[in-house]
Amino acid sequence: MGETKINIGPVHPSTHGVLRLVVTLDGDTIRKVEPHIGFLHRGVEKLVETRMYMQSPSYMEKIDYVAPLSYDELYVATVEAALGITVKDRAQYVRLIQLELQRIASHLLWLGTAINDIGQLFSVFMWCFKDRDIVLSLLEEATGGRMFYVNQRLGGLNRDMAPGFDKHAYKALDYLEKRIGEYQEYLESNPIFMERMKKIGIMSKEEAISLGVTGPTLRGSGVEFDVRENYPYYVYEKLHFNTQFENGGDCFARYRVRINEMKESIRLIREALHIIPEGDAIGMPIRLIGPQPKEKEVMVRRELPRGEGMMYMVTEGQRPYRLSIRAPSFINTAILQHLPKGHRLQDLFPILASVDTVMADVDR
Amino acid sequence: MKINSEKLRETLEKMHRDGYKYLVKLTAVDYTDRIEVLYFIRNMDNGKEEIVRFDLSTKNPHIPTVLDLYLAADWYERELSEMFGIKIEGRNAKRLLLEKWDGKDPPMRKSFIWSKPYEGMKDEVKWAEKYKDDKDKKDGDQNVIRIGKPLK
Repeated sequence: MGETKINIGPVHPSTHGVLRLVVTLDGDTIRKVEPHIGFLHRGVEKLVETRMYMQSPSYMEKIDYVAPLSYDELYVATVEAALGITVKDRAQYVRLIQLELQRIASHLLWLGTAINDIGQLFSVFMWCFKDRDIVLSLLEEATGGRMFYVNQRLGGLNRDMAPGFDKHAYKALDYLEKRIGEYQEYLESNPIFMERMKKIGIMSKEEAISLGVTGPTLRGSGVEFDVRENYPYYVYEKLHFNTQFENGGDCFARYRVRINEMKESIRLIREALHIIPEGDAIGMPIRLIGPQPKEKEVMVRRELPRGEGMMYMVTEGQRPYRLSIRAPSFINTAILQHLPKGHRLQDLFPILASVDTVMADVDR
Repeated sequence: MKINSEKLRETLEKMHRDGYKYLVKLTAVDYTDRIEVLYFIRNMDNGKEEIVRFDLSTKNPHIPTVLDLYLAADWYERELSEMFGIKIEGRNAKRLLLEKWDGKDPPMRKSFIWSKPYEGMKDEVKWAEKYKDDKDKKDGDQNVIRIGKPLK
């Protein structure tokens, strides 16, 4: 039988955005996948060059609309490093709590949509969205925003956590921990789920490192690397953070890493809420003309929900001369050229789902 | 680590043998008189990081591919060639990854022209040209192209 070329996307429910895949098939077996990206390219890196430092955070949030707070924080941290501003003690804790809440929200959305892609497990999708709403309500209480937050200011935050936040947070975290355990139990005893995740899209440790994949996708291949542990920032060192990793290298391992990360995040938030110091967490108000940058070039990395995000900034007066963004989804999407080879067409979407890409993050 | 652009392959091959097998990011900065290219590489065993950087001339810049060492370089090199007009030797990086453009004016270069009048609105452009000496116009302001014909 000859080779067949089929086109998937750019608008397809399972591509989570605008991604076009040209798949070459031999019968039902995938021989080649050619991803076409760029449908959402907005030129963020170029736009930033025309704006003052603190005009950009709200734009940074739109790079990854599933985890906006993480990107906002990454950008503000880069500016802080360039201007030589230290973050207030309490603000470090508050940021950490919000970042971990954002990670839970992002992973819950991933769990729901990924499982929806795999098969007829639509109830999990609804449950995950319902639970994600609880996290969003917490974030709303803490920051004032629901979809986008823009809560980071130089040296601190725009708004500290509201009084009584910890009480609500403990309650929500207890509930979430119970629910995540239930999902895990439900999914891992489901034969359809296990058949479609286990031994699909296997990536060895060497392959993962050479392909440069990052985040849960890298840790699912047995690489014990997490920016929070290897290059700790804020108070992660004080909180006894454990890197979650699995040795399987398949879709199931990547799923497991994310489930365990959610549990770890819940533990981290509880621990942080327990030892958070009193004091002031409010940062500098937004001024177009701020302090002069102290560093010519800075590089800041953070563990975003999708993987390691990095910003490299060259400064020039009150504007960034160049901002280079390492988007985790960009490098994770590139592996679609390699991973699905030899699999059947039906396995393409579990593989795509297990990588967890956000197309806005890919194209920037 | 600052190197000469001709020694890129040699240096990266040596670093790769030393365990720097993870390419974190490949990027460039246009300083108008030169283009600086940066390879962020990491040794995953001990977490050490190294930045390999070198300068290129702005006229006809080209670098050799490192795709055989780092598979991660695939899209990074294509992005670099597209955004900075740097030719990647030894591989086919012609198909544009993110943008659609004619290939004459790489978007991330500082020489990139930001605002070209939209050609479909020739009447309005002419009108804006006519009124470009407005009294309200300050130095450095861009012409505002108003949609619709002006009142007479």
